[in-house]
Amino acid sequence: MSDHCNGAKDKLVALGARRPPDYWKSPEELRKGASLRGEFPGGLPSPGRDDHGDPEGETTRRDFLTLMGFGVTAAGLAACRAPEQRAIPMAVATDEMVPGVANYYATTCGGCASACSLVVKQRDGRPIKIEGNAASALFGGATCATGQATVLSLYDNERLRGPLWHGSPAEWHEIDERVGAALAEAHARQAKIVLLSSTITSPSTREIIERWRHAFPSFRHVVYDPVSASALRTATAAAFGRAVIPHYAFDRARVIVGLDADFLGTWLSPVEFARQYARGRAPEGPPTLHVQFEPGMSITGSNADRRVAVPPSALGAVALALLARIARRANEPEVAAPPDPVDAKTLNSVADELWRHRGESLVVSGCNDVAIQLVVHTLNRLLGNVGRTLDLDRPSLQRMGDDAEMATLVEELARGEIHTLILHGVNPAYDYADPGGFLTGLSKVAFSISTADRRDETSAAVHAVCPDHHFLESWGDAEPVAGMLSLCQPIISPLFDTRAVAESLLRWLGEPSDPYGFLRDYWRTAVLPRQQAFRDFDAFWDQTLERGVLDLGAPAGATIADPGGADWRAAAATLRDESQRAASPGGDAHYELALFESVPLRDGRHANNPWLLELPDPITKMTWGNVALIAPSLATQLGLGDGDVVSLTTADGAIEIPVFQQPGQHPRTLSVALGYGRRQVGKAGNDVGKNAFPLTRLVRGARRTWASGVTLASTGRRDKLASTQSHFSMEGRPIVLETTRAEFGRAGDAEKLPNLWNERPQGERSWGMSIDLDSCTGCSACVVACQAENNVPVIGKDQVQRQRIMHWIRIDRYYRGSEDNPQSLHQPMMCQHCGHAPCETVCPVLATTTSSEGLNQQVYNRCIGTRYCANNCPYKVRRFNWYNYTQNPRFDFHMANPVGRLVLNPDVTVRSRGVMEKCSLCVQRIHAVKNAAVKRGEPMKDGEIKTACQQVCPTDAIVFGDLNDPKSRVAQRMQSERTYRVLDDLGTRPNVAYLKKVRHGQTT
Amino acid sequence: MRPAMRPTMILLGLAITVVAAVTGVTRLFRMGMQQGYAPAQPIAFSHKLHAGDNKVPCLYCHYGARSSRHAGIPSSSVCMNCHGLLEKQTVEIERFKEAAQLDRPLMSWVKVHNLPDFVYFNHSRHVLSDVDCKNCHGDVANMQRIEQVMPLTMGWCLSCHREHAGVPTSTLDRAARRFSETPKPATGLDCASCHY
Repeated sequence: MSDHCNGAKDKLVALGARRPPDYWKSPEELRKGASLRGEFPGGLPSPGRDDHGDPEGETTRRDFLTLMGFGVTAAGLAACRAPEQRAIPMAVATDEMVPGVANYYATTCGGCASACSLVVKQRDGRPIKIEGNAASALFGGATCATGQATVLSLYDNERLRGPLWHGSPAEWHEIDERVGAALAEAHARQAKIVLLSSTITSPSTREIIERWRHAFPSFRHVVYDPVSASALRTATAAAFGRAVIPHYAFDRARVIVGLDADFLGTWLSPVEFARQYARGRAPEGPPTLHVQFEPGMSITGSNADRRVAVPPSALGAVALALLARIARRANEPEVAAPPDPVDAKTLNSVADELWRHRGESLVVSGCNDVAIQLVVHTLNRLLGNVGRTLDLDRPSLQRMGDDAEMATLVEELARGEIHTLILHGVNPAYDYADPGGFLTGLSKVAFSISTADRRDETSAAVHAVCPDHHFLESWGDAEPVAGMLSLCQPIISPLFDTRAVAESLLRWLGEPSDPYGFLRDYWRTAVLPRQQAFRDFDAFWDQTLERGVLDLGAPAGATIADPGGADWRAAAATLRDESQRAASPGGDAHYELALFESVPLRDGRHANNPWLLELPDPITKMTWGNVALIAPSLATQLGLGDGDVVSLTTADGAIEIPVFQQPGQHPRTLSVALGYGRRQVGKAGNDVGKNAFPLTRLVRGARRTWASGVTLASTGRRDKLASTQSHFSMEGRPIVLETTRAEFGRAGDAEKLPNLWNERPQGERSWGMSIDLDSCTGCSACVVACQAENNVPVIGKDQVQRQRIMHWIRIDRYYRGSEDNPQSLHQPMMCQHCGHAPCETVCPVLATTTSSEGLNQQVYNRCIGTRYCANNCPYKVRRFNWYNYTQNPRFDFHMANPVGRLVLNPDVTVRSRGVMEKCSLCVQRIHAVKNAAVKRGEPMKDGEIKTACQQVCPTDAIVFGDLNDPKSRVAQRMQSERTYRVLDDLGTRPNVAYLKKVRHGQTT
Repeated sequence: MRPAMRPTMILLGLAITVVAAVTGVTRLFRMGMQQGYAPAQPIAFSHKLHAGDNKVPCLYCHYGARSSRHAGIPSSSVCMNCHGLLEKQTVEIERFKEAAQLDRPLMSWVKVHNLPDFVYFNHSRHVLSDVDCKNCHGDVANMQRIEQVMPLTMGWCLSCHREHAGVPTSTLDRAARRFSETPKPATGLDCASCHY
């Protein structure tokens, strides 16, 4: 006993000692050590006063007690009955819909152009939760955070209720007549008609556009993606003959080199890539090396084995340096490279690894620069990766934007050459490099139409707004990868008087305009013949619609010739010249600016989605706004602190934006997220952050999202930032653990602490969860999924600053090492469902207890809001409702209007003020599966119950199940040598365990 | 007041206070209980006629009880299954016929067995576990107008759950056995079975 006591004491002493922590979450923590802060540092609203100290109404405590006393007496005296409640059954019942039972329909996501396959949960005729379609070979059952949040954008109260003519509500037939007249005029005069759209992955819609080409010789279709892969397409056309995007297979690569490609976060198809990445890097499998060269810290960089910070101007030089080394090994003629932009040792070892694993390696770049992409293509070709880790026979069709064509269009607009312009899924008045120029050109168009769903920056300046359905209200199809098709079906009747774009386009052509009929006809003529399983169309249609996905195999005659004759040497020469010019910058006062697509808001199209606005960015943990990320060393040098507003000036413009220290950021580069700073998107998103899109320009036909020669000036102002990075600190205790490949073979040492409690009677089942820190990339899809499933409220920037964010699951991002280039680790943290829960013993009313199956259950109706449980929880996972966040006009995000409330899950209580809430391990899902098992008379199967976080995770990091069942996946994971429990030495006995992250090639 | 009267006054005051307190507290505890609630409905539907005399099974109309949390009130189309073929027409029948033809709900029923929002009661779990409808809803087949005969309080629900789990139902029994026996785990007695 005494030995053990001393050991424990030593541990406590060690924790108190002031030394730099092994793991830290912010530069402050690293420099000053973990601080012990109060549980509620935002301050408690004192009675009668609100957060800002202002008196809240006239009631004082004495008045309150008087009223209560009177009220209780009055209630006791009166014959009090519960209020009358009414029930309205359907007039005519359908056998498909039973109130209280959910239906599931397969469809395709329209949140971005990746076109992930979905299965959507529908209750009472409306969708409430999005899941991935497990039948999809590409995406599995996973979705990303943006995809999860699109169910809320369906219920956006600021969607247009109907079409507009010059900004005022109009009738559809009026607008159709005017459109018909305009098109007839354009056709007669051979004037230009342009459809400007974002990437369209739908083959049937492309067919409609073909018909437009036949009907109007002066018609053309321009595809514009604000964050585009235009250079990649151009380079692939030059190198391999087809303007497509290769379909990457990260699971087949043993060495991955990323050049500013955030493939786990936002690049091309992050759900698919994350899935492949996790599969390829299973610790039990062969080792994989991932090296990332990037200016700022992205999710992909935070998961890399080795990360090198380089300024954006040096990415070309890095690519060339690698090419020179590989060309030498491949016996190609010498490639002259500029001086090495990073130390030669790193480049040599990366080139060695690439060459050693040729045919099993992959070099990818997210740079929108044709020259760099050509060099990367050559690298992959010389390494023999073409056809192995990147597939050109079945290419990706997920980005089709062409920056040069868009620039040509804007020039034509400026010259007044465009007669009719139809804008579909684009917002260039916000996200184009020259929004003013675009708007001027737009005003010269004789007839402009937008299919936007709201009055945004662009649709406010067009003649007719013909709002499109939300994708959850539409019929359609998608082909994200050539030959892999999926269908899109409506989950709800259109909420407002909107009209499908397919219908509008067909009607304006003068053709029969039933989008459902057209889709079926297209599939009957163009898809049915390409498959062998079905001969009867109706059977084929019904089966495919139910399943959601269809794999047609590689298109015939698709083998890409490998010409190898692309003029990559010229591209290499261009890059060499450019990097030599960049190597002599204009003195110390010039920095570089790197712009990137943020994981929550992407390119800004979801800027009015409160779930995404409040989702902490996976790396910076910033909510409700963007910042200029700056290296801590540069911030110290310039005397800047977090929140200081600076003015960044480039050749294309200037923005004023607060800075935020980002460990690992290149010391001469600042990074700013795109997608913020919208002016006309809705109440929630207006004026959140700063718009950085105008700071881009066209270089060599592609939109460059970085700039050099940037000057920085402090404005003297300071903005208050809402970052959750330092919230819920665990105060220096060993939270995250990692191991190496060499070490994890050895068994761990689990300390057995003495136990003061009686053994709790064990039920038949014991629910538990295992989270693999090695798989978790930090994408935060689980955070939004939990919010959608459990009616977690959105609270706004002010409340987030007071550390009151309500997410039941949060991703803690830890750094390790030096500020200049730390290693990172992501840890999802939710209620650990402790066997000996510290929260349960301190609740004065027993509102939180442990169920017979090991769940720590929170009973909302019993809670009186003492908050002692949150105080006592060492994991800081309990969330308190400080205000009534629902039906409260003060927090009017989505829970205060009748449209937004349609997204609520009827199986989960909506909590009111004064009530504590926390992760319940999706107890409503446990009950649902139990009931289903009773109904069919068979026991539950392992894996049948999937918590919301588990179901969306692309990397399968989270596993839930019955710990008492030795054959369950979670029980088997618990046997792993990598398993540990957080803060185990406190004796809480959590039912949630983690698997240590495995570092490649380094010792802990 | 005369000094001799004082003890009487005190006793009287005490008696009044005790009576008021007991009545008040009992009434408070019964606040929200609807035992005996038998409201008038927009259509005078008689369960005695349908479920009693004509022996229509409960689950024919309230089919939701077998698969869903809600037993549901049948839509007009269910009524039309029979009434579309029957000769006898009354004013009441005309009302829901119109609703069925227009495919528009025309009236709202008054909920009799009403649980508060923080309780999640699941009908299908009970129906599939062979709990008879009469246990909670009483002898509906003899009710002209539906009346809530059971208290539907948590304590009343728990008494059956405890019996089902083999746990003593009376408070005294439970207290007595608390120190001699380890409580048996039963999922039906978990808070989260109904409150989540």
